[in-house]
Amino acid sequence: MAIDLVHDLQQVYRKVLHSMSRPGTISSLSDLAERVDMNLPCYDATVLSAMTFLDAEVTFHILSEDKKDLIEKISEYTAAKFAPINEADFVIVLREDSEMAIKSAIQKCKNGTLIDPQLSSTWIVESTPLNNTGECLLSGPGIQYTSQVNTSFNASMWLERNERTKEYPLGLDLIFTDANAQIVCIPRTTSVSMTEVR
Amino acid sequence: MKTNTHFAFFDEGSKKEIRRAIMKAVAIPGYQVPFASREMPIARGWGTGGLQITLSIIGKSDVLKVIDQGADESVNAVSIKKLVHETTGVELTEQTAEASIIQSRHRIPEVPLTKDQIIVLQVPMPEPLRKVEAREYMTKRMHSEDDYSGVWLMLFEQIMKYGKTATSADHPVYVNDRYVMAPSPIPRFDNGKMHQTDALILLGAGREKKIYAVPPYTNVESLAFEDYPFTVESFEGQQCLLCGSTDVFLDELIDKESGKTIYQCNDTSYCMDQLNKKEEAEVQTSYA
Repeated sequence: MAIDLVHDLQQVYRKVLHSMSRPGTISSLSDLAERVDMNLPCYDATVLSAMTFLDAEVTFHILSEDKKDLIEKISEYTAAKFAPINEADFVIVLREDSEMAIKSAIQKCKNGTLIDPQLSSTWIVESTPLNNTGECLLSGPGIQYTSQVNTSFNASMWLERNERTKEYPLGLDLIFTDANAQIVCIPRTTSVSMTEVR
Repeated sequence: MKTNTHFAFFDEGSKKEIRRAIMKAVAIPGYQVPFASREMPIARGWGTGGLQITLSIIGKSDVLKVIDQGADESVNAVSIKKLVHETTGVELTEQTAEASIIQSRHRIPEVPLTKDQIIVLQVPMPEPLRKVEAREYMTKRMHSEDDYSGVWLMLFEQIMKYGKTATSADHPVYVNDRYVMAPSPIPRFDNGKMHQTDALILLGAGREKKIYAVPPYTNVESLAFEDYPFTVESFEGQQCLLCGSTDVFLDELIDKESGKTIYQCNDTSYCMDQLNKKEEAEVQTSYA
């Protein structure tokens, strides 16, 4: 059964909204992921997130250069246009993307302007299995005390991200997805600190 | 003729655009994200901002409550409820605790909200700096520069004139120590309910084409001076004439027959709940 563009995507949106307003909270899209039948070379949760947010009014960027086919497919499914990293509204990071590529993209992506901080990029990042352990300590709006999250981002990638979100309200908002169709969000307001460095 | 509308009235493109705006609003608490406010089947200024948010986030399994100045049964609340129900078929409720989405005009319910609830507030004037500066670009610049001297001056002038800050409702707040935000015309009594709340608060201004948000567990501080601290409406010594509640927001009414001032709960469903509880207790004791 294919995904229902009205009701299934509404559910995806509410899960992402729940996770975005409560950084570090893992939401599961597993019921919906079963219905993804597009055979794209990315996680089901990535497909669902892209389908939820992309349309003809926004642009997206995929880091891997050899993913012409995926770019075409996403454009066909959502009508969103591909754009270079410094213009893209959504940046999709695939599992195989290298640390170097991700760090360089973080440096170049849109992080808004002081007058229009909403003109920033939202990232959909494929990660190793997400869980609430690890050395990544979160605090800020949406988190009652503190929260912990384990993603594929390592200390130096977080450092890069922290650099781009330093001048709040400028920043980028991250949606992590994993192979188990889980998502977790880290908006720009979240202060991410490392309790230990691997 | 009755047209067969799409689920939740909107086309999917509109929903996506509004959903993206809500996402940015959550990521930048208190910042007014511009959005392409749609033409709605109710007039602008009658809750179209709130309605557009509700329609964009609502799903089949949601339970909706709509209130207008605390009342579940006033015209604005009923028309919005009918529109959403007819286009989505979602369940409606008057019980605050049962609702997953609460759209409200000018009140935050008395019953504390939970982490699984979203409250959508209708906003007529989202810009707290508008009284000081008419030009949109200038107010945007002031927000970007964290320049809120205009709002402080407005409060200072009120103190000079009336001896206290005279905002009856919509008392400006600092969100996450960065943006000054209009909390929508909720009474000052409700400002505190926005601070570190469990629920997500979304605010929509349809006419002014702005969406903003306060995520849960976010600092929301009412603007005040050290020597003129923020105060809420006081109902000391008064109680609801129907249910006897004391620590809630009360409406001041004049009794037509006696001409005396009387007080009544503003939140009608809360009042009804208290009355039902009392009755239940009475029935149980008389039966025994």
